[in-house]
Amino acid sequence: MGAPGLAFDGILGAALLWTAWQAIHAAGLFRAVVSFMVFGLLMALAWVRLEAPDIALAEAAIGAGITGALLLSALGRLDWEAGRATDECLRGRDRAFWVPTGLLLLAGLGGAAWLLPAPGLGEPVAAELGRSGVENPVTAVLLNFRAWDTLLEIAILLLGVVALWSLGPTPWPSSPELVSPALPMLGRVLFPAFVLVSAYLLWRGSHAPGGAFPAGAVMGAGGVLMLMAGARPWLSGDVHGPWRWALALGMVAMLGVAFAVMTGGHGFFEYPVELAGRLILLLELAAGLSIALLLFALYLGGEPPADWETRRPA
Amino acid sequence: MNITLATALVAGLPLTAAAVAFAHPRVGRMAALGTGLLLLPVLAVLVLEALRTGPWRHNLGGWTAPLGIGWQVDALALTLLALTTLVALAAAVYRVAEGRLTRDSRYRRYFWPLWLFLWGGLNALFLSADLFNLYVILEMVSLAAVALIAAAGGPALAAAWRYFLATLLGSTLYLLGVALLYGQYGALDVSLLSGRAEEELVTLAAAVMITLGLLLKGAIFPLHFWLPPAHGRAHAAVSAVLSAVVVTAAFYLLLRLWFGPFAGMLPGLPAQLLGLLGAAAVLWGGVLALLQRHLKMVIAYSTVSQLGFALLVFPLAAADALPDQAHAGMLMLLLAHGLAKGSLFLAAGCLAWQWGSDHLRRIGPPMAGGSLPAWIAIALAAASLVGLPPSGGFVAKWWLLESALAARAWPWAAVIVLGTFITAGYLWRILRDPLRATSVDSAVVPAQGPPLPIPLAMPWAALLLALAAIASGLFATALRSAFAAGGLAG
Repeated sequence: MGAPGLAFDGILGAALLWTAWQAIHAAGLFRAVVSFMVFGLLMALAWVRLEAPDIALAEAAIGAGITGALLLSALGRLDWEAGRATDECLRGRDRAFWVPTGLLLLAGLGGAAWLLPAPGLGEPVAAELGRSGVENPVTAVLLNFRAWDTLLEIAILLLGVVALWSLGPTPWPSSPELVSPALPMLGRVLFPAFVLVSAYLLWRGSHAPGGAFPAGAVMGAGGVLMLMAGARPWLSGDVHGPWRWALALGMVAMLGVAFAVMTGGHGFFEYPVELAGRLILLLELAAGLSIALLLFALYLGGEPPADWETRRPA
Repeated sequence: MNITLATALVAGLPLTAAAVAFAHPRVGRMAALGTGLLLLPVLAVLVLEALRTGPWRHNLGGWTAPLGIGWQVDALALTLLALTTLVALAAAVYRVAEGRLTRDSRYRRYFWPLWLFLWGGLNALFLSADLFNLYVILEMVSLAAVALIAAAGGPALAAAWRYFLATLLGSTLYLLGVALLYGQYGALDVSLLSGRAEEELVTLAAAVMITLGLLLKGAIFPLHFWLPPAHGRAHAAVSAVLSAVVVTAAFYLLLRLWFGPFAGMLPGLPAQLLGLLGAAAVLWGGVLALLQRHLKMVIAYSTVSQLGFALLVFPLAAADALPDQAHAGMLMLLLAHGLAKGSLFLAAGCLAWQWGSDHLRRIGPPMAGGSLPAWIAIALAAASLVGLPPSGGFVAKWWLLESALAARAWPWAAVIVLGTFITAGYLWRILRDPLRATSVDSAVVPAQGPPLPIPLAMPWAALLLALAAIASGLFATALRSAFAAGGLAG
């Protein structure tokens, strides 16, 4: 790495710290949220610099995109006066305690991270990659070596939607305050691109950075953009409709495959080596679709009606 | 039945049922009850296998650690799985019966998926031997628990929010510690780490962070602030599972880690500090339980107090006089406390329905119309919680006390005895106040009119759990040898 790279990393690091500080200390919640989104994008860049493109994709789509959209929509629902009351977030005495504590913790963690040998598991993963059914080590870890983790993560996403829906009906369509006249057209033009990119990411996952999580996140972000552009949401809370099964698809497919392979005398989640590649692709498809819908469902902020026309509750 | 399939069903069945209950809310009730009824024989198969061959390990997907995730099946895991299944099944029966009294349709639609997610998370937690997998599971359990608390609405929303913040902070601390361990030793598996971890600064820092996070999640003194409102204000069935199993889960991880990777550092200061926290929890939680006016709040504070007894296992086992006795006592305590606590919350829920409030002076006397089964459940569960022979609570405290006496650890022995007296004090108040309310009236208006009739299954679910708490003491010798066969000290 030459001097330009070093300088770039330095600026990137400083910008990260600055946006993080802004996200915590900005004068208004709106500015804080925007700073947080910028922070997410810069963080994605940092992951690129660390040669972790998978994490960069996820960070950009989920950390900056979906989370930012969720925060903005939460901001839209907040009582404006209440939002202003929390502007002054740290008083003098609290600051005298938290700033040194934070710095101390940061120094401790920084020192520890510096000293860690960080052996990692790159070698054992590379050694078993041939039997995993895919060529991309990240996908091999996510959908084969540690598929149980991934199942639980998708389950948590579904659980998040269930928890949110249990709290009340969706406020959508609430009058969006951020709508700009260009947004509807932009949304229509961009949506096919979102679909294309997420399909590409999904296909790429087997041999290069990509896979279900980034693909689902990009697709979900596309859906959220359409919603912000004024499209009527189509996902309904109807107990008879296909949507609930579609939301649960990723988790059900993973559980189904995990148990199904056991009929062949294998263990739980133990794919037969010759089928591993195809099974993983199947799971990626199901998971990607579910993740996109789940992120979109989270953005609705509550249980959608069974029918959007009549707003009949589910 | 195939042992691998049985193990997989323990974790996979509730999660499958959760997806079905979400997609098709009408079958939610059946999914929950069916899960419980199916899990009973499945667990029996696993227990028999453990008695036959001792503890074993299952590598998920056939990948061995450090690459893959492992499941560890031993006495500790099986005891807590059995406890989870019994309490969750009884509470589900209670909830199904209670459902006839309510009309809130949103709560009915989403209760069962949330319930099954919590159940699946707990089962997965007690199986897992992988620290990162455990982090994912902890998030699942917390999120489901928060949503279930919030379902009670009103003041429970604020309690759920506080619990959410506390538990998120706890998870973050835990994850930081796990990251340090992974960076240092390149492994996430508990047994691999036990072999590799050395007593050095990084391990100590990781141990401190993980322990802090888990103390917060387990509501262990002085980080218990979130528990009483959250457990006191949730619906009774939810409180039962939260108090009996969910806080125990955090304590379970402390056990796995301090008697696993951190075992080398335990003797000395860490063991004494954990014991001191336990002693403080026993006394402070007990005194606050004495001061409560609402039945469910008494029971909630009692959870803070009773978990303190379990923490005494650290200094007692580290003292090395009768470590197995201390472990057995702690395990028995978790089992007996969980069963009794589940019973108490369900019975409190019955009384609150019947009298319209759970204020100690407003719930009517045992003889008043139809509340007798709930009162019997309370009396039996209280007997076990105090530690009257022959209940499970008695055996648990006796074993702990034996271990303390053998180690000549007089302060810990004194804490056990004193804590038992305080427990007797607040439980006596529960039984006494309703009787008084009929004769001497204070400023509180006593219950009006006859008690509301409730489905019989509600108090019976409580009664069965109380009987199980007593029975665990009757079969103490058998349990003791089963604990030994299942590899007691993890």
